[in-house]
Amino acid sequence: MIAFHAVSVRYPRRGVPALDAVSLAAPRGALTAVVGPNGSGKSTLVRALVGRVPLASGRITVDDRSVDDAGRRALATRVAVVVQREEPAFPLRVHEYVALGRYPHLGLFRAPSRADRDAVMGALMRTGVVHLVDRSITELSRGEWQRVRLARAVAQGGDAIVLDEPTTFLDVGHEMGVFELMSRLAKEGRAVLLVSHQLNLVARFADHIVLLHRGEVAASGSPADVMQGAVLERVYEWPLVVTRDPAVGAPALVPLRAPSRD
Amino acid sequence: MRLSRWALIVVVLLVAAVVGVAYGTLRLTPLEVLHGALGMGSATQVVVVRQLRLPRVLLAALVGAGLGASGAALQGATRNGLAEPYLLGVSGGAAVGAVIAVALHAPAAVVPLAGLVGALAAVALSLVVARASGGQGDARVVLMAGVVVGAFANAAIMVALAGVDANAVRGALWWMMGSAADATWGQVRALAVYVAIGVGALLALARAIDLLALGEDAAAGMGVDVARVTLAVYVAGALLAAGTVAAAGLVGFVGLLVPHLARMAGARTHRSIIGAAALGGAALTVLADLVARVAHPPAELPLGAVTAILGVPFFLSRLRRLT
Amino acid sequence: MFFASHTGRVAIALSWSALALLGACRTDAPRAAGAHDDFGDAIASAPTPHRIVSLNPTTTELLYAIGAGDRLVGRTTWDLYPPQVRDVPDLGPGLRPNVEAVIATRPDLVILYASDDNRDAARRLRAAGIRTVAYRVDRIVDFARVTQALGALTGDTVAARVTVDTVQRTLARVRAATATLQHPAAFWILWENPLLAVGGGSFLNELLTAAGARNVYDSLPGPSPAVSFEDLVRRDPDVVLASPESRRHMLADPRWQALRAVRDGRVLVFDTTIVNGPSARVGASAVSLARLLHPGSI
Repeated sequence: MIAFHAVSVRYPRRGVPALDAVSLAAPRGALTAVVGPNGSGKSTLVRALVGRVPLASGRITVDDRSVDDAGRRALATRVAVVVQREEPAFPLRVHEYVALGRYPHLGLFRAPSRADRDAVMGALMRTGVVHLVDRSITELSRGEWQRVRLARAVAQGGDAIVLDEPTTFLDVGHEMGVFELMSRLAKEGRAVLLVSHQLNLVARFADHIVLLHRGEVAASGSPADVMQGAVLERVYEWPLVVTRDPAVGAPALVPLRAPSRD
Repeated sequence: MRLSRWALIVVVLLVAAVVGVAYGTLRLTPLEVLHGALGMGSATQVVVVRQLRLPRVLLAALVGAGLGASGAALQGATRNGLAEPYLLGVSGGAAVGAVIAVALHAPAAVVPLAGLVGALAAVALSLVVARASGGQGDARVVLMAGVVVGAFANAAIMVALAGVDANAVRGALWWMMGSAADATWGQVRALAVYVAIGVGALLALARAIDLLALGEDAAAGMGVDVARVTLAVYVAGALLAAGTVAAAGLVGFVGLLVPHLARMAGARTHRSIIGAAALGGAALTVLADLVARVAHPPAELPLGAVTAILGVPFFLSRLRRLT
Repeated sequence: MFFASHTGRVAIALSWSALALLGACRTDAPRAAGAHDDFGDAIASAPTPHRIVSLNPTTTELLYAIGAGDRLVGRTTWDLYPPQVRDVPDLGPGLRPNVEAVIATRPDLVILYASDDNRDAARRLRAAGIRTVAYRVDRIVDFARVTQALGALTGDTVAARVTVDTVQRTLARVRAATATLQHPAAFWILWENPLLAVGGGSFLNELLTAAGARNVYDSLPGPSPAVSFEDLVRRDPDVVLASPESRRHMLADPRWQALRAVRDGRVLVFDTTIVNGPSARVGASAVSLARLLHPGSI
């Protein structure tokens, strides 16, 4: 549904391209994960999608239409994006903040309708933050804030949801909760594109993984295909082994201790 | 924001306006004021109420509304509680225009127009400088271009003032310190249209400002054309400020202070914040103008000085709240 | 220092003797110029100056009045009366003057305006060996004192005395003519934005009083205080004095109708630009003003 076709991005005054001819596809009904070390271009991918960085070459399509053809707002009605960092500068209430997610549908002037209010309530319930509904967003804990952001993206509706490191600051329970939600959203038919560095969780939940290294696709495929010791060690520049975790039946990455210098 | 709060703000504004018309250096009883407003009574009382006080109170209210709304929108769009309406070199450009007009001994009616032209030129110059640096799409570059233009304007003012006689210098400084003293009905009418359009434009952009306030990437993710909307807010805010400068000179602190008060009163979305800031700014400026008129007879204090005096304790209290 | 050397002292003695002979029509012996100038600095004797720089419109006018105008080699940009003064080189401002430009004219006497802004210039000119004095002529009483001081400095004591006497007689005549008449309450506008009035500290206030009126802002000590319009309305003047341009603006502006004087058509034109400070013209100005306020009185 969302597809990157040989996308290259160059930040000004940097020698090395941030993304170099990266192609990947995030189809409906699947959870696609983009992983890789810091600086591999994961966040640049998301920023390119929302138009915050220009493409040096290649194109990005949503349902085979280039993202530049449709307007940004029209695009936002179909693709909800949760970017990496979002600072709550003003003390909106949680329900007001989540309601902002309806902006792509309402624009500057239309008043919210019943359908909009239902979307907001539904999103609050699905992400489990209904109890926070009247709290001010500046008073939330980091974990609560992350989940409220997720609620906003769910309220935005659309067929695709793109998330950049959505589980930072979340404890184990909440992190699992988010991954479970994303998996459910994918199973309901949405295209879920996830950028994360939590390899082990990704390996358990994703249908398709793309491994980026220095702006290029180093590996792409099912978790079993991508979770290979040799390529992961090369990309992460750290000794590691990939085992099969019997408890969950998914490949797991285990980093090794640094070799002692004798 | 709750309806009761809105009602409170409107009441404060109305009370301020009434007090502003009823009080002044010339002591008039409330009945005389009413008669004067209706055109009855002695000629002095009629002229004082209808030609001096009423236009002045209305002008102060419009200036305050414009500055409040502009400050609120700019603070939202820049995510910075210290942003104020005179961004993009508006104050510097306006002062240069006015000082040059005063130095050339232009008639009094020309000085505010020269101020407006100067302010608009500064905004245009900031945009040109930003574009020439290749960063027109980046809000920070536009802001910095505004700082550059403002600094240049200050230098130009000093050069202009160095070569003129003492009375012209006094006149220029007086204008720069802000005053509603020259209010005429013609000015009030023109400013009313201008402020209505400006505040209307900012209210229209309010939802987009709510999204910008979350961060540029986040706003982009929700479909906001960040570069265009940010620029639209800056330009609308700066033009609104430029109009107030043309009418009353430089009146600082209102645009900085009032949005904080609006948010403290409970306004959360920018539609509320901008609206409340407009009403609150109007009330504050009307009261400041009253103080300017009666605090130190027979002279009048500059309006900008009174608003600054109000601003300092407010910010000190906010500083204490931070620590 | 010139007068410290033996040659100097001899020269001074000879000069003063010559002056004593020339000044025969005066019964009192010519004195050295008044003991102190308005900076409080002592003024010592010196030969008659021939190259005078006057950095103050009023002292420039006074120098012409006492017959010393042809010795001027420098003036300020604002010195514009009498018309002959335009031929004298313009040395710039009178406050914080361009000291180098002054020195370049090789003056033997520099007259500064006695404001603290000029203390530095006075110091530097004296350090360059140039005789420098500072006077302020802000009030009519200063006019008499300074005219005579200038006369003593330039050797024109006779002309100075005549000038002072003429003006003082004229002023006395004006005062007498208006003494028994009703003195209207007057407002004299100096500037419109901000609204500046002639205050109690200005010689124009003295002129107004001499011409038979009472300044509504007499009680304010400054020369040109800023006042609010409503305060002016409260003081309710009987008559307004304004420049021709200000009068035009006032009649066209509906707000000025708040003043009874404007409604009654009592806005009189008196151009203050022609009266910079209390110079030799102050007598004639008093007469014009009295005629304006009390037609047929003088």
